[in-house]
Amino acid sequence: MSDTRRMLAEMADPLFAELGPQADKSDLARLEELGLPLLLVSEEDGGFGGNHVDALTVFRLAGYHALGLPLVEQIIARREVEGSDAHFRLGAFARTAQIAGALDAALAISVAYVNERQQFGRPLAKFQAVQQDLATFACEAAAANCAAMGAAEALDRGDAAFEVAAAKLRANSAASAGARIAHQVHGAIGFTQEYPLHYLTGRLRKWRSEFGGDAHWGRVLGDLVVARGADLFWPDLTARTG
Amino acid sequence: MQTFATEAVDWPDSAPALRQKVRALVAEHGERDPVRRANCWTKAAPGFSRMLGEAGLLGMTWPKEYGGHERSQLERYVVIEELLAAGAPVGAHWIADRQSGPLLLRLGNDELKARWVPGMVRGEIFACIGLSEPNSGSDLASVRTAARRDRDDWIINGQKVWTTGAHWSHFMIALIRSEAGSERQQGLSQFVIPLDAPGVTVKPIVDLTGAHEFNEVFFEDVRVPASALLGEEGQGWRQATAELSLERSGPERYLSSMVLFLELVRHAGEHSDPVTRDLVGRLASEAWTLRLMSASVAAKLARGEDPALEATIVKDLGNAYEQAIPELVQSAIEMDLTGDDVLASVTAYLLQVAPSFSLRGGTREILKGIIARGLGLR
Repeated sequence: MSDTRRMLAEMADPLFAELGPQADKSDLARLEELGLPLLLVSEEDGGFGGNHVDALTVFRLAGYHALGLPLVEQIIARREVEGSDAHFRLGAFARTAQIAGALDAALAISVAYVNERQQFGRPLAKFQAVQQDLATFACEAAAANCAAMGAAEALDRGDAAFEVAAAKLRANSAASAGARIAHQVHGAIGFTQEYPLHYLTGRLRKWRSEFGGDAHWGRVLGDLVVARGADLFWPDLTARTG
Repeated sequence: MQTFATEAVDWPDSAPALRQKVRALVAEHGERDPVRRANCWTKAAPGFSRMLGEAGLLGMTWPKEYGGHERSQLERYVVIEELLAAGAPVGAHWIADRQSGPLLLRLGNDELKARWVPGMVRGEIFACIGLSEPNSGSDLASVRTAARRDRDDWIINGQKVWTTGAHWSHFMIALIRSEAGSERQQGLSQFVIPLDAPGVTVKPIVDLTGAHEFNEVFFEDVRVPASALLGEEGQGWRQATAELSLERSGPERYLSSMVLFLELVRHAGEHSDPVTRDLVGRLASEAWTLRLMSASVAAKLARGEDPALEATIVKDLGNAYEQAIPELVQSAIEMDLTGDDVLASVTAYLLQVAPSFSLRGGTREILKGIIARGLGLR
């Protein structure tokens, strides 16, 4: 991890944790003081000059802590004109990164919960059915994180139409599988307002639709791949990276 | 919590040239039959393996002292993902190049290395893995095949089963109980057994497609010299499980149905159908993600790390993907599975073999158990 990114993570992680899902609008001023809304604005234009991998760090942590402030929306609006294709694409990337973070957080509280909750004289974690569900969850969270990283790198390289579509689609399906398992292993307590799981799963539910749902990105990506043809799929895939 | 540390892969500068080299070779000498291009790393073609050897594409990372080419791990990764994506018949040398060679080079004595490694680099010597036994499948520590000392030699008795490629291989690296009366993970050692040694019998097991890929291998008073012991006596369990990271992390764990995905893309180009197009989109998204994950594990292995948990995650997701493709294609497109057009025949073949994808190299249940342990649940 680069120094900038470590610095960003060390700043954002405790701050987003403190502000949390029910942050007050007035707290936005604190984020502005730190220059965070200008994360993706170049230094010449008075911004922070971060790249998309830096943005991934911040977006992911905003998702992880279910940050209740529109920071992510501000960052993308400062970078791209609202309503433009570029804005929509950047938004889809941001939601991918937020989904990755929220899945990791939901996985962490699910693991903690099943280790603590006892039934039939042992922790839920000792039941193989529960273990296998959470292993599936971990795979999905891993895929969402890798997809977000792949999209970030592609956005830094330039044309990322393929990667953003692929990443949002993959993150959407991870969001659905992860939220389902998180609720399943929590039982009734996860279905209450009092318990914090809904801050994460509620956002996961919304983010799947925002900046393009499965139907949208499936169509976009399918069209892209079919237009290039079967013989160019693999050469294109490898040419994008190395 | 972040279960998969993501990072950029620093692809070698030589990658584009290597890709061109492999593509040209496969275009000229690869498999023509589209059905045999599916699940291609189980298809043995010794002539093709020898050609790869001549082209310097086997034993790529191994020392020059033993004929190797001392290229980087990621250069090898580029070559194998190209071969798999193109459906090349790489089955004969696959195990030798992936794990038997690296294991011999890491743990073998000079005699073993000199005897086996140069031929593996040339694509003339092939290897198989002796792990499973009739009563020892996923529960590998219940191995009963035994080796007892006879002065300077070892005498081996017992049986291995589900041994892929034993009938085309020259030697087996087998996990064997070398301490009488020992239990579970204790007292196991690895031995290099030439398959033409007196007392070795290889019997075919025909799979449900009618193909002969795996075998039973019997050992009756098979005598091997002390130098056939690989690594340390009694350390077989640790050595064999370390090998599994190599076995589980490669791109063959998600690319077995790639040829069918490409046929689906071709079909979608010829028939304007939104269901097929959306399926192409979803499957392309997964292929792209899995490639990033698989390459990221390769980069960690190349740095000498042991990303065992990440490798397990990639295998589980990859197997689920390659296993799902045939049924998704079958659902999306009306077809006659007995027909001889390419799409239908590849689908029909993969529908038959897909159940094996989440069995070979560690079952889905075993993998999920490993991941659960990594999460702190066991």
